[in-house]
Amino acid sequence: MIKVYLKMFIRSFFLQALWNFERMQNIGFIYILKPFLDKVYIDKKSKQEALMRHTGYFNTHPYMAPLLIAIVANLEKEKSISKNDSFDTNGIKNQMAGPLAAIGDPLFFGMLRPLVACLSILVMLFFMKFTDQNFQRYAIFVPIIFIVIYNSFHIACRSWLMFIGFKLSKNSLSVISNIKTLMPILKYVGFIVVVFALFVYLLIFKASPTSNLFFGGKESDLFLYIMVFLFSIFCSRFGVIFLFYSVIIICSLVSYLRI
Amino acid sequence: MIESIFFYALIGTLCSMDITAFGQFMICRPIFCAPIVGYFMGDINTGFWIGMIVELLWVNAIPMGVIVPVDVSLISILATFWVCKYFFGLQEAAVFALVLSVPFAYFYRDMDISGRNFNTQIMHFVEKAIKSQKYWQIYAGIFLGLFLFAARLFLFYLFAMYVGGLIYSGLYLQLSGFILLGLRNAWYLLPIVGFVLVIKEFNIFRKIFFKDF
Repeated sequence: MIKVYLKMFIRSFFLQALWNFERMQNIGFIYILKPFLDKVYIDKKSKQEALMRHTGYFNTHPYMAPLLIAIVANLEKEKSISKNDSFDTNGIKNQMAGPLAAIGDPLFFGMLRPLVACLSILVMLFFMKFTDQNFQRYAIFVPIIFIVIYNSFHIACRSWLMFIGFKLSKNSLSVISNIKTLMPILKYVGFIVVVFALFVYLLIFKASPTSNLFFGGKESDLFLYIMVFLFSIFCSRFGVIFLFYSVIIICSLVSYLRI
Repeated sequence: MIESIFFYALIGTLCSMDITAFGQFMICRPIFCAPIVGYFMGDINTGFWIGMIVELLWVNAIPMGVIVPVDVSLISILATFWVCKYFFGLQEAAVFALVLSVPFAYFYRDMDISGRNFNTQIMHFVEKAIKSQKYWQIYAGIFLGLFLFAARLFLFYLFAMYVGGLIYSGLYLQLSGFILLGLRNAWYLLPIVGFVLVIKEFNIFRKIFFKDF
């Protein structure tokens, strides 16, 4: 059975290979579950019914999916043994998909990824500051650091979720709710890291042409930090594209006026 | 030149597939893929800087539910490729490459949406196959989904790197002095705007003092 679990875990990376607007991850889910269903359903008709059950709408966070797959696999196993038709595996699956996605999206994509990215940027800025000419030689380690740190959390979390899903089945939800306690910690750590990265950035590049262009190089550090902090509060009103092109247009206009 | 475009289009395809189709190991993130392309092209510093700008600015570009986000790896890889290929090491040229690569990424997003609509048809084909107990077609469906995703990306990268590169180099040489100076200033200002956007994500004081914003 361990071979089947391993197969399911590897296949879980292909969950969104056939992502579609109508039923999203449904075929990916079937693809992952199939080795398990092959084992538990010997009767051809029951296997077909089990596969057909999971052709419906399914969408969750890809990192949280192994948990749901393991729970559904356990339920399918129970169903195959008891031959009980009253189990609504599909209903349980769909009820849990939304809340799990609501935990996974802010935790992994909203907190962990920006945090690790900021850490890598911080390392890169330190490299730029202290290694000078030799930066080129070691710089390749920075993106590797990003991938290694991020994926050590990501893959450990995926395998742990699959493990507790198989072990605790529906009871694993109480364990999962504890993951939410990580979020405020990540938020505080993330805030400290990004502010420190900004501090290092301004320390290295304060005398850049931009600084001279807008303030004649006479602005105080405190003024800059207050500006950044205030802008971080009000910038949610603007889209990224608007901000990106505005910065370029404003810089060009200021250059034109100064020339 | 053609051989190098094929090589970088392949790297771009592998990185961009990570967004949804396979893995989500985050090799699609600009902080990883732009320095890698920069490293192969001999200018990792520019790759880093472009990666940093795109990573910080598009920190929120994540696939959630039915949202198809703009392909940030495409923005960073195209910009790094163009600048390293045509104007090696020029900061203003790098910002101009970013300016041009963003519309390309939005154009690709529309292509991606069409591709995902086509996946619905493949899904129905797989569903019919399950009904008739032809289970090997589940694998065929998954493979076809991956193949079409990769083919779409690869062809788009080839087109954008070659045709986009010609447009980019042609337009850049026409830019006047004040625009070049503006682009050079934006090179230093864009990361600060990016930091602002990331601070917004983590801002622990915002919810306490500024609930309405």
